Amino acid sequence: MIDALSLAASPFALPDSVLAHYLLVSAVMFTLGLVGFLTRKNLIIMFLCTEMMFQAAGLALIAFGRYHLGEDGQTFVIFVLCVAAAEAAMALALVVLLFRRRETLSAEAWKELNG
Amino acid sequence: MEEIISPIVLYTVCALGAAGMALALPRRGSKLVPLGITLLSAALAMALVSLGLRVDRGHGPGVFFYIFALIALGASVRVITHPRPVYSALYFILTIIASCGMYVLLGAEFMAFALVIIYAGAILITYLFVIMLATQAPTGQDAGMLDETDAVAREPVVGAVVGFVLMAIISAMLFGGIRDARQPDPAFTPDEVLAHLPGKVDRILRERDLISADERVARTGDGGGLIDAAAGTITIENTDLGTTRVIDEWPEYLSATNLDRLGWNLLHDHPMTIEIAGVILLMAMLGATVLARKHVELEESLKAEQARKLGETTLRPQHAGGAS
Repeated sequence: MIDALSLAASPFALPDSVLAHYLLVSAVMFTLGLVGFLTRKNLIIMFLCTEMMFQAAGLALIAFGRYHLGEDGQTFVIFVLCVAAAEAAMALALVVLLFRRRETLSAEAWKELNG
Repeated sequence: MEEIISPIVLYTVCALGAAGMALALPRRGSKLVPLGITLLSAALAMALVSLGLRVDRGHGPGVFFYIFALIALGASVRVITHPRPVYSALYFILTIIASCGMYVLLGAEFMAFALVIIYAGAILITYLFVIMLATQAPTGQDAGMLDETDAVAREPVVGAVVGFVLMAIISAMLFGGIRDARQPDPAFTPDEVLAHLPGKVDRILRERDLISADERVARTGDGGGLIDAAAGTITIENTDLGTTRVIDEWPEYLSATNLDRLGWNLLHDHPMTIEIAGVILLMAMLGATVLARKHVELEESLKAEQARKLGETTLRPQHAGGAS
């Protein structure tokens, strides 16, 4: 355990192969979010899946930031977090509005919106 | 790419993952969900093991990475396959907490804790509230059944294939390009940022009695301290006498924390970020308020339907109570 945590604090760059591990996790998480967004019908789950994609992007940013030994990655995660919070507020207000109109959370209830 | 992961393994993982995902997505009467989840986990484990095999001994990501990665990805799979929205949201909290573990492993403690507070504590709880607000209570004979919206996925096969084809492309490009990524400066020391924080260095040195009350770190013209982290020297000036001396033995406990470096980077290198973030959050708050205040005119028939449902759901528990 001490070893694992001291790796985090040490100023040595990540090896390429370790960066690849984090990027793989990030890519899989992004893919799961995308598949969920495409396939689920519940509006709230769809927005939850966009949050998952934000999360995957954040993980990749932090991993790259550690790889380059800078703080830019973490700073951008703060920005991603703000966008996610703003998106959640807007999305949830929209969902409540849509629910009041159609009494369902299904995205299929709004089919007429496709062009 | 060959030295990171073999392309054949990567494409096999993507194909297996797509097949597992297509089976694991919810649909009416499907008994294949456990099989799909097993396939997906097998694909993920295969990817992580084949990545791990190419790592030099002693330079791997460590056992904690594998634990957190499996928790995060397993919970993500459940987020999109679970038919009940509340459970999806709870599994998403698990995903967040596991990725916070990975943040800590990457040395980003502050972001890890901020993520737990903001994401798991604030955003997801708001999601849970809306799920509870905007879900109809099941009525009558379909009380045990799930809503059609949640129980059946839309085009699971196409969605899974599209997603995993994209993943194959993204990860092939990432792993192919890793060698060209800019390598960091080998002379980097994280303590360089301390030269910009002379007040903090003053405080730490004074607490340890390395300097007396009328001494402080010598300041440069722009408010920084005369500290050379690379050479390990700190110049101290006596404010009363005007003399200076140099500490050339770098104290071991004197180091810039993650928060020092992040704060410096945020406010010095990206000063506009906070302003823009503030504007975005303000606009989102205004927008959410305007949207949520909007009065919805329902047709008479819909109103009657709502009233009937409300009556059923609120009356039913009383009947049950009276019978017992």
